[in-house]
Amino acid sequence: MQSFELLRAADPSAAIAAASRSATAQQGASVRFLAGGTTLVDLMKLGVEAPHLLVDINRLPLDGIGRAADGGLRIGATARNSDLAHDPIVKAEYAALSQAILSGASTQLRNAATTAGNLLQRTRCLYFRDTATPCNKREPGSGCSAIDGANRMLAILGTSEHCIASNPSDMAVAMLAYDAMVHIQGPQGERQVAIADFFLLPGDTPDRENVLQPGDLVTHVTLPPPEVGARAAYLKLRDRVSYEFALVSAAVSVTMAEGRMASVRFALGGVGTRPWRVPAAEASLIGQPPGEAAFRQAADLALAGARPQSQNGFKIELARRCLVHALNQVTR
Amino acid sequence: MSDPTSNPFSAVEPNSDLLSVVLRINGASHALQIDPRATLLDCLRDTLQLTGTKKGCDHGQCGACTVHINGRRRNACLALAAVHEGDEILTIEGVGTPDRLHPLQAAFVARDAYQCGYCTSGQIMSALALLQEPCGPGDDEVREYMSGNLCRCGAYANIVAAIQDVRGQS
Amino acid sequence: MSASHSAPTQASPMNVIGRPHPRVDGALKVTGAARYAGDHYLPGMLYAVPVGATIAKGSITAIDAGVAEQMPGVRAILRRGSFPPLGRAELDMSSADTTSILDEFRPPFDDDVVRYYGQYVALAVADSFEQAKAAADAVRVSYAVEIPDVDPALVAEKMTVKSERGDAEAGFAGAAVTIDQRYAMAPETHNPIETHATLAVWEGDALTLHETTQGVINHRNVVARMLGLPAEKVRVISRFLGSGFGNKLWPWTHSPLAAAAARTLGRPVKLVLSRAMTFQSVGHRPRIEQRIRLGATADGKLTSVRHDYVNATSILDSYEENCGEATPHMYSTPNLRVTAGIARRNIGTPTSMRGPGAVPGLYALESGMDELAVALGMDPVELRLRNEPSIDEGLGVPFSSRHFQECLRVGAERFGWSRRDPRVGAMTRDGLTLGWGVAACSWIAERFASNAAVDLRDDGTARVACAIQDIGTGTYTVMAQMVAERLGLPTDRIEVALGDTRLPAGPVSGGSMATASLVAPIHEAVAKAGAALIAAACAAKDGPFSGSRPEELDFVEGKITAKTGNRQAMGFDTVLKALGMPAISGSGSGTGTFMAPGKPTVSKHSFGAHFVEVTWQPETARLRVARTVSVIDAGRILNPLAARNQIEGSVVMGIGMALFEETHYDARNGAPVNASLADYVVATHADAPAMDVHFLEYPDTSLNALGARGVGEIGLAGTAAAITNAVYHATGVRVRELPLKLEHLMS
Repeated sequence: MQSFELLRAADPSAAIAAASRSATAQQGASVRFLAGGTTLVDLMKLGVEAPHLLVDINRLPLDGIGRAADGGLRIGATARNSDLAHDPIVKAEYAALSQAILSGASTQLRNAATTAGNLLQRTRCLYFRDTATPCNKREPGSGCSAIDGANRMLAILGTSEHCIASNPSDMAVAMLAYDAMVHIQGPQGERQVAIADFFLLPGDTPDRENVLQPGDLVTHVTLPPPEVGARAAYLKLRDRVSYEFALVSAAVSVTMAEGRMASVRFALGGVGTRPWRVPAAEASLIGQPPGEAAFRQAADLALAGARPQSQNGFKIELARRCLVHALNQVTR
Repeated sequence: MSDPTSNPFSAVEPNSDLLSVVLRINGASHALQIDPRATLLDCLRDTLQLTGTKKGCDHGQCGACTVHINGRRRNACLALAAVHEGDEILTIEGVGTPDRLHPLQAAFVARDAYQCGYCTSGQIMSALALLQEPCGPGDDEVREYMSGNLCRCGAYANIVAAIQDVRGQS
Repeated sequence: MSASHSAPTQASPMNVIGRPHPRVDGALKVTGAARYAGDHYLPGMLYAVPVGATIAKGSITAIDAGVAEQMPGVRAILRRGSFPPLGRAELDMSSADTTSILDEFRPPFDDDVVRYYGQYVALAVADSFEQAKAAADAVRVSYAVEIPDVDPALVAEKMTVKSERGDAEAGFAGAAVTIDQRYAMAPETHNPIETHATLAVWEGDALTLHETTQGVINHRNVVARMLGLPAEKVRVISRFLGSGFGNKLWPWTHSPLAAAAARTLGRPVKLVLSRAMTFQSVGHRPRIEQRIRLGATADGKLTSVRHDYVNATSILDSYEENCGEATPHMYSTPNLRVTAGIARRNIGTPTSMRGPGAVPGLYALESGMDELAVALGMDPVELRLRNEPSIDEGLGVPFSSRHFQECLRVGAERFGWSRRDPRVGAMTRDGLTLGWGVAACSWIAERFASNAAVDLRDDGTARVACAIQDIGTGTYTVMAQMVAERLGLPTDRIEVALGDTRLPAGPVSGGSMATASLVAPIHEAVAKAGAALIAAACAAKDGPFSGSRPEELDFVEGKITAKTGNRQAMGFDTVLKALGMPAISGSGSGTGTFMAPGKPTVSKHSFGAHFVEVTWQPETARLRVARTVSVIDAGRILNPLAARNQIEGSVVMGIGMALFEETHYDARNGAPVNASLADYVVATHADAPAMDVHFLEYPDTSLNALGARGVGEIGLAGTAAAITNAVYHATGVRVRELPLKLEHLMS
């Protein structure tokens, strides 16, 4: 690990001021916020991240979880994943979020990992994590080792010729289905970005993964009020039973009226370069009775444009089955 | 703009690479001079020679380094030691001694809930935390809650049995 | 939970052998007080971090350590030329004391040629781990790069006949049904949770290594040869080992490197491998391709067996995976031919991994037997029962003790096999498809030469010592049990010393042979100590046995007794006190059978059968191993608590072998790219099925007086085949490449 300076931010503005000196808030940042450390310290050990300054934000008052004024939920940036998953409101009203978080990592990691850290966690692509190999995300222009390499775990949606890295988050998939809003405080003040717009596709700049600019501090995430009567679930498929990243996953939430689906939300994980949601696929189910054929058609819409890599073609069918099964589960 | 002089992470001497930090471990305070890069795991082992906490992967992938920080289990390999000044840290050495085993430790012995013993500290620290966590009563739920602790010897059945003995369930 | 989870009872001295006995070192392990190799710290100790090659083939053209050497705390960046070249250790298997065995022969820094990814090219040494790691990362190495060969398709240089009888080809010609299939296995990495560690400290010209080794004596001898020292100048200590599964059996290059660094810098040096390095430079089970051909009559009698296999090995070393070990004796067949070959690749040298040879071999053979059963329309248990040999037909000698048919029958009964519907996918439960599979297991039963010493002490305790290791199997405990049983004492009065070359020479902990190797030397050492006590008591001027003649006395259960008459027996502690002696010693030795010269007169193997239930949910492509039954015929079980743990642990590892474990070499740079415990998937708690383990207890005294064989490896044999056979029963898909992945089942 490269040497760095450690700073404990007295308040958010001090943290923002310190971080605004970084040339980028993306790969290669010279200043990083340190919260749970489960991604950052891991990548610093691998030499993938080498910040000169770490700003410890663990003691900033950003860890609250509570009802928002509009009846939704306000989740602090440094709220620990365990606290969020076991929060009574989350368990009762945003079940897919609780399940998504609990399906990820281990209890130890969830006790450390934070809301913002989970949103910003980096891909598990083997080559991104190996500084001895080319990787456009880590070192722009060096090439993509994964396209002709080990890519079973990687993305089939949102890829480019420069990068096929999958987003590994479970939490973000559920938050996407719930229309979360990401609240950011930066050198120019506060702003909010819908989670659907927060993550960037790799395109020809895979080193840029989200909209954050130097100094931007995610302060909290809000969820809109829960839909009355919604049934929700998170289904994650992987090789072993626990403690593994998703091959594919689906967060689903459905409300029914008179035997037909009145509102449908779903998002897919493990398949996209960012958490994946296709509004047209959801809309195709509105007003329909639940059923295998309709679900499969929606899944086809959700997976439209999927491009399999050499080892992960099975993910297309697996994602279909995952989504159909999850929808069956909540409409049964 | 923050004032660097107010930063609690002050170097031991100007231009020194070491930080002066007081860590609370197993109820005792330790005034230490540590490298900012030092993880809590390496600090416990290399600086304090509390070697019950083990390094298995150094990347949060095996659980051998599990300790409690403020009552919650964490991977010490992904925690920078300096950041945990003021936190209450509990390691396996603070749980029991060979002459005074914690009931969970005694259950591990009785159930043969280990083989080589290398992952055992982490298993016990996780199990100890599990007793306070919202884990359901069944063996399956214990298995899920314990899955962050790999045991390559595969003593999983006995570990679950030991935990359930202490919880009074099976 | 199965009934096998009844709480163990503390053994009383009289029945200490054969009863569940908690580990005597348990309290140290559960409190973190047990000190493993990496847990030792010495004043002035430096930390070393190797720099591994980032190519798999080529040569080093330059090493730029300028930046690294200037970094804080850095003592040296060692490389070829930094210290005198290390010597080459030669094979020596002549005795327990002189053993010198290793798999990777090339000494570190021997030349500038790189033959595998991760080969050490430099070593950063600094005051702290953080400094050494940063310095290692800052070393810039230039290479003349060549394209490595890590091709998974294996073609042998040549095939060698390992066993042959009858005419295998003619045997197929007369068969009613034949099977001809190929089975491949991905490279596996052992991944004990403790990575390899060496702490090297010199005192003058004497070296001490705190080492992660499954064989302290062998390690001492190999490292002594590489450093050009007489063996007595090297001490190797391994009192606790975080397991090894074979990758700590033989010395690897980091250990002499740490010793050379410590000698060069005049300070103790600690070198702990990273997890990633353990995928590169400390052995692995290589990729193996096997072809199984079986011929049988319509009523299921084998007419011919052919088993041909090739494994990958490194460029310089000829590691052979002896997959055909069990094939000649497993079933009766008049015609058989087993051939083997190796294929060289730019990979680190492979090594023994739990059940080397037989484990991959039985995966193939037992898969083939299942396919034969399907082709015959015969129950797979019945097929195996019908091919029971009366002798080891490979060696042409009787078995010392074989109860394989009983394993099958008892296992079938415990599993409920009679309720099996043989049709694919026909069995369901709770909306899941069930698959039931069976496979046989077998493992050699041998012993190594070993010595041991026993001290009887006047406080009523005893000490037993042997330079063997406890790698997690329970050797501390079984040694205490053996002495306790002989002396009529509880185990808490027995001190066990092991894992130190200063103790009487013991064997490696490998091949499931430790327990069997210890019986004779420990029994003899106790007897010799007793005899010495009798001699001293008789010779004493005025003591309880003064005037007696030694031949009139016996030493039984720790007491001196008169062979005739009503004289009161007297415990050794009382006698010692009366004689004013603090202690008396005896030493013993036992011969080895493993690879002993000459043709064996009996075939010594353990046997068993695994029954597996998998659940399959096609809607989500979810496959789980739900429950297993393992019936093991391994002679007398000395500690059922530890023995059951060994089998359960093997079954868990077998789930990994069948469904998860694969080291993936990148064809472009030859790197094992998934070199982490996140990306090399092993079974977690949640993957562990309900396991029922049952031992048939037929003592096999051909190996030792207690009738014990060994249980460390046999449980892994057959498990993967039982799983893939169950998967076929559930899904109709026969996957012949491990690990079996869900995409194989999604067609």
